[in-house]
Amino acid sequence: MSARYVVHRLLQSLLVMLGVTVVVFYALHLGGDPAALMLPPEASFEEIAAFRHAMGFDRPLWVQYIDYLSRLMQGDFGVSLRFQRPVLELIVERLPATLLLALAALSWSTLLGFFLGVVAALRPGSAIDFFARCIALMGQALPVFWLGLVLILLFSLHWRLLPTGGYGELRHLILPAVALGAYYMSAVTRLVRDSLIDALGQDYVRTARAKGLSEWRVIRRHALRNALIPVVTVQAMEFAALLGGALITEVIFSWPGIGRLAVQAIQNRDLPLVQVIVLFAAAVFVLVNLLVDLLYALLNPRIRL
Amino acid sequence: MRGALTLMLRRREMDLWLSGGLLGLIALVTLVGPWLWPLDPLEADLLSSFSPPLSSSGDAWHPLGTDQLGRDLLARLLEGGRLSVAIVLCAGVISLVIGTTVGMLAGYFGGWVDALIMRLVDIQLAIPFILLILLLVSVIGPGIGNLVAVLGLTGWAIYARVARARTLELRELEYMEATKALGLPLYRTLLRHLLPNLFGAQLVLLTLDLPRLVVLEASVGFLGMGIQPPAPTLGNLIGEGRSYLLVADWLVIWPGVLIAALVVGCNFFGDALARRYRIRPR
Repeated sequence: MSARYVVHRLLQSLLVMLGVTVVVFYALHLGGDPAALMLPPEASFEEIAAFRHAMGFDRPLWVQYIDYLSRLMQGDFGVSLRFQRPVLELIVERLPATLLLALAALSWSTLLGFFLGVVAALRPGSAIDFFARCIALMGQALPVFWLGLVLILLFSLHWRLLPTGGYGELRHLILPAVALGAYYMSAVTRLVRDSLIDALGQDYVRTARAKGLSEWRVIRRHALRNALIPVVTVQAMEFAALLGGALITEVIFSWPGIGRLAVQAIQNRDLPLVQVIVLFAAAVFVLVNLLVDLLYALLNPRIRL
Repeated sequence: MRGALTLMLRRREMDLWLSGGLLGLIALVTLVGPWLWPLDPLEADLLSSFSPPLSSSGDAWHPLGTDQLGRDLLARLLEGGRLSVAIVLCAGVISLVIGTTVGMLAGYFGGWVDALIMRLVDIQLAIPFILLILLLVSVIGPGIGNLVAVLGLTGWAIYARVARARTLELRELEYMEATKALGLPLYRTLLRHLLPNLFGAQLVLLTLDLPRLVVLEASVGFLGMGIQPPAPTLGNLIGEGRSYLLVADWLVIWPGVLIAALVVGCNFFGDALARRYRIRPR
């Protein structure tokens, strides 16, 4: 992996993040007057004017943007209107909960999806394949909020096995992690299956078989390795969907994470907080994709940009 | 008849017909719903509130049951389905038009135009859709027009990516060179010679992208940030029903079934189309 590629990719990521700050900044000004938007409807004209001046909304937009960007660069992410505390503090406080949920959802869905995908690809058209495809189809078709509610209905209200929401113990984690991971699991299953079937039809697999390698070795050493490359790339892309799903899941299960904070902030019109959460989510996504791309270049010697 | 059926099966186009039929049925039922089912989706009748669906000894007049105000769920589902489908279709077409145009320009010109457009695509895809949409809707306000605009303007990136890739291939073909040699104006080259060759793939992409929009629109509605009640949409029906999960689970279950049917129908239909016309849209 050449240093030039790494630098190129890093610069590209920085550029994307700069673009995201532009989107996030201007989104606030789409409705005309951000001051009126952030204050409660009963605020008087004078209050709005004073607030507008205090927040600096009466300056030209580009001056405001430069100012906004320079403050971000210095690590000043602003203060939440509702909580009257630094936004960064609020996010850091809720980060562990979201991380825990995302990791739990990611790990079970990747493991199971991978397993189902491989099993289905080895016997395409069989009953196992059909079963795996049905599961994949269901995971993709059921919206996360509906799945979450049905899980609550069955496991919490009818059978009283697990709590409807909350945080702190393992039993609180199970339902949200299942609801959030379902979509991801189905995506992994489908990808691994299609990619592996594709790889098994390639010439190098025939060569490997002709050499007299055991079937297990052919699959593990030759087919699976190549099949996994597109899987990793697309998985990184699907990561944004996982972040979006976490938002809804946290609301349904009263999970004290960043997603629920975002929805509360939007409902309270706490827009400085919303802005930073959007920036944060985009930064995570860009970082994950950067790492995957670098890893990809490291693993695949044909990529040299 | 039986011969035709086996022929269809043998041609492996069952999925195309079944999924197409399912989508057509949903479209038809939601379109002519108000004439099919005479009950008013907004008319409250407190005496028959929380009447259970027919499947559990309910009233034949409310086959899917009623909500907390005694409004008929079937009528609300038909009305909500129509609103949601209309919003999603309009938004999808907006994304398709913007994305295809921008993608063709990027692929055709290359160079800095391409670099600029592809960075815009990266920026668009970096922000989770639901967050961006909630932020925009909370700034410009809910309402059908705003929702369609926000969903449409945030979804163009995938179309641009695919249109660009296809344009890059087509650009190298001889007939494109001929359009240059003939001195055709740019719009004519793009619209008459380039577009027809990638439009099919873009339409298939739209079919496969609709599930994302259906779920997004429903999610926004579920969070109470979309179309405001009393007007029903698939999302806000579930959002409202959530409070009555223990007494009236049908209020949550049936709208979800309709969403799932739409998503499955679109996925199958898109895949079947892609296979039939040998397009690889993703």
